[in-house]
Amino acid sequence: MLPILLLILTVSACNDSPYMQGKRLYTVRCANCHMEDGTGLSRLIPPLATSKLMGGAAMACVIANGLRDTIFRDSVYLPREMPAFKGLSSTEVTNIINYINHTWHKPFTETTILEVEEALKACP
Amino acid sequence: MNKFCCLFITAWVTVVMLLSCKSPNEDLPYLGQTTQADGKTVHHKVGNFSHYNQDSVLVTNKSLADKVIVADFFFTSCPSICPKVIREMMKIQEAFKDEPMVTFLSFTIDPKRDDVARLKLYADNLGIDQSRWYFLTGDKDATFDLANTFFVAAFEDKDAPGGFDHSGKIILVDKEGHVRSFSEGTDPSTTPKLINDIRRLVDLYKANQK
Ligand code: HEC
Repeated sequence: MLPILLLILTVSACNDSPYMQGKRLYTVRCANCHMEDGTGLSRLIPPLATSKLMGGAAMACVIANGLRDTIFRDSVYLPREMPAFKGLSSTEVTNIINYINHTWHKPFTETTILEVEEALKACP
Repeated sequence: MNKFCCLFITAWVTVVMLLSCKSPNEDLPYLGQTTQADGKTVHHKVGNFSHYNQDSVLVTNKSLADKVIVADFFFTSCPSICPKVIREMMKIQEAFKDEPMVTFLSFTIDPKRDDVARLKLYADNLGIDQSRWYFLTGDKDATFDLANTFFVAAFEDKDAPGGFDHSGKIILVDKEGHVRSFSEGTDPSTTPKLINDIRRLVDLYKANQK
C-alpha cells in the first residue's frame, strides 16, 4: 500500500509542467538534439534558453520549416541543420512552444494557437 | 523540478537502496556467451578492428592493448539518438579525465560520408579531449560486424532517420577484449552505474599491478 501511495504522490508532484502534451512532444521530437534540459551539445546543437526566439510564437517557423546555416553559419562543420517538423498541427506546435517557454524563459506568457497560426503564415 | 518532486525522488532512492543491498565489490561480470575449451573458461571477446581516427592514425586492438575501452557506434549526420549518446560519453570522459587507462572510441557506421576530415570537424566542434577519444572510420561491413561483437545492433535502413538503425549502447571493454558492462546512451540514468563499473575495472587492474 505504501509504495503505491508513494508512486501516486511522486507522479503528481513531478508533473510540474502544465503543458503535458508539449512536454511529451518535446521529449520525443526535440530532446534527442537539444537535450532534456534544453542545453544542446557544444558547437553542434544550440541551447534553447538563450535563443532570440524564446518568449513568444516566433519559434513556430523554425519548428515547422527547420533551420539551416543560421546559428552555426560560421562553423565549418557540415550538417548545420535542424530538420523541419511538417507533420505537427498548430495546436501541437503551440504546446511545444509553451512547454519550452514555461520551462526556460522568464517571465512566462502563454502563446495562443492564433498567434502561432499568424506566425506560421508569415514564415519566410 | 519542484521541492516535492525532489522529496519523493529521494524517498524512492532510499527504498531502492534498501532493497538492493548487494556488495558493491562483487566482481564485474563477463557479458556474452561463455564456453569451455580444454577445461578452461573462454569468455566472449569483441572483434578485431583496424580503423583510422580523426587524425588519420590507424587504431587497432593491438595499439590499445593496455587500455580500458569505452565505445559507442554513431554517425555524424545522425538526426536521432546520437547527440544524446555522445553527451553521455562526454560525461564519462569528464569523470575519467585524469585516468589515462580509459580510452574512448566512437565508430562511425556511415564511413561513406564520415571520412577522416569530417570526423575531425565533428570532434573539433564537440570540444572534447581528442588525445583519448578517437572517432573511427573503416570498412562499413567490417564495422557492422564489429558492432555485433559489441552487442550493438547496427544496420542500414532506408526508413530509419538518417538511413541507419542502431542502438545507443555505450560499451565497456577490458584490456583483454571482454565486454564487462554497458549503459543505454539514450538514458542518462544508466550512466552513473557504468562510470562506477569503469572505476571498479580500473581499480582492479591497478591492484593487480602492485
Ligand atoms: C536533428 C537535431 C535537431 C532536432 C531533432 C531539433 N533541432 Fe532544433 N536545432 C538543431 C540545430 C543543428 C539548430 C541550429 C541550426 C542552424 O544553425 O541553422 C537548431 C536550432 C533551433 C532553434 C533556434 C535556436 C536559436 O538560437 O535561435 C530552435 C528554437 C530550435 N532548434 C527548436 C527545436 C524544437 C522545438 C525542436 C523539436 C520540435 C527541435 N529544435 C528539434 C537541431 C535539432
